[in-house]
Amino acid sequence: MANKENVIETKNLYFAYEGNKYILKNINLQIKRGEIIAILGENGAGKTTLIKHFNGLLKPSKGEVYILGKNTKESSVAELSRHVGIVFQNPDHQIFSETVEKEIEFAMRNFGFDKSYIKERVEWALRLMGLEKYRNRSPYTLSIGERKRLTLAAVLSYDPDILILDEPTAGQDFLQKERIAEMMNLLRHRQKTVIMVTHDIEFIVNRVERIIILAKGEILYDGDKREVLTNLQLLKKARLLPPQITQIAWLLQDNNIEVPTNILYIEELLNELLHLCKKVGLDESARRIQV
Amino acid sequence: MSLLEGFKFRSKDTRIHKLDPRTKFIVVLVYTVLSLIFFEVIPLLIIFVSTIFLLYLAKSLGEWKKTMKGMIYFLIIIFILNFISIPENKFDYSLAMVLRFSVLTSIFSFFFLTTTPDELALAIEASGIPRDYSLMFTMSLRFVPTLAKDLQTIIDALRSRGLELEKGGIIKRVKNYTYVLIPLIVYEIRRSLMIAEALEARGYGAASKITPYYQLRMKRIDYFVSIGVLIVGLIVVLLKVKGLLPSLFYTRLFSI
Repeated sequence: MANKENVIETKNLYFAYEGNKYILKNINLQIKRGEIIAILGENGAGKTTLIKHFNGLLKPSKGEVYILGKNTKESSVAELSRHVGIVFQNPDHQIFSETVEKEIEFAMRNFGFDKSYIKERVEWALRLMGLEKYRNRSPYTLSIGERKRLTLAAVLSYDPDILILDEPTAGQDFLQKERIAEMMNLLRHRQKTVIMVTHDIEFIVNRVERIIILAKGEILYDGDKREVLTNLQLLKKARLLPPQITQIAWLLQDNNIEVPTNILYIEELLNELLHLCKKVGLDESARRIQV
Repeated sequence: MSLLEGFKFRSKDTRIHKLDPRTKFIVVLVYTVLSLIFFEVIPLLIIFVSTIFLLYLAKSLGEWKKTMKGMIYFLIIIFILNFISIPENKFDYSLAMVLRFSVLTSIFSFFFLTTTPDELALAIEASGIPRDYSLMFTMSLRFVPTLAKDLQTIIDALRSRGLELEKGGIIKRVKNYTYVLIPLIVYEIRRSLMIAEALEARGYGAASKITPYYQLRMKRIDYFVSIGVLIVGLIVVLLKVKGLLPSLFYTRLFSI
């Protein structure tokens, strides 16, 4: 049985498309409401396969997956998607309506929402993703970045409890990434659970607390971001690079400059360097950096 | 989709696989004609058994069986429809039609299991059809599995946005499945445009004479088999037309 506190729970999850070539092995996860999580791992580690289990698109070959206490084997994808919205990587695989507006309201119409509520939510989603001026256009006339925003709008519009994003920042310019970060803040305030599958370490450093690393279908690490992103052995095993600031800290260490190796943020590094300058008596330099 | 297993090429080391595709096509042609000129159980049964023998020689019975299993419902429908529509000789005739369908399925399965898409393309080009048209045909074949995958992707996307395709009454479900049509068509058209661009970017159409990677060559065994099969086929057709076939062939098996 599932623990009622967990919005997503997997028990000894194994998955193979055929036979026993397992793509996922012994996945045990408990995700609580309101958590913001990043799933990292190299290509082929099984990240997309895993998230497809969270709305029932895939059912476990062995083990169980519970979404909000419901066993996914007993529900249809449509039923589960009411609570779990997944935005996949390729927008062209998820767009099928005549107009931008119709695309956004598609899910809500399937769920039988009240007409006026749908109208409200469509307006909200259009504004949030900056797509108002395209509302009556065919989605196929939008640029790739705009189509990505559309798929995001289409899922956010129906306000699922759990939001899963597959590579949301891939191919996005700085402005769009900021927009996505803003949206994630909004969701955090509303106690939504957000899971991001990504390679974009720089993006998640400031925005998640918990990191799950998948390697060859198994969970390599599940826990605090600082512990993993500053641990060389773990990162090597997962074939990931640490954030750039951490890399600078390590390089400084290699050159015998005493900064801690578990630095994640610019501010931390700055403080350490200021501290060092003061220690060595370089007050001039210290004042300049303090700008 | 296990129904399609009997039509996907599998590389095996048999004499059949080594035959020129044009030879195999002649075999398919002759078998098709023979299966169409007979309406009786016994001749069709003989033809059917010989196609199984061909598949045995091609070591492809496993894949063929999967397709035949998938065809079961279809065969039952053919039997029933024939049974209720013809006035007399019902059982024999319906069984004969089932056999004819099985022969056609099996002989085409035999062809596609033992011929690579490239060989097929070369065979079509070698028959004199302009490259543009032969490419259209072989490319359509090549993209059938891709299309199947695209279909699944679209179905998954629709389900993920609340479209119920797993539960509910049959009418509602069929209606919901129609939502797949437009995105699928649009997606495939856009894909074809992208492929056209890719082809042009790689020099398609630049020269009228291309250098093929493989070249088809008819060997002695090819001439032997194709001429042999043609002669046998011709003889059988002539015998049938002149009414010279043994009456055994026309025995009625069932009294219904």
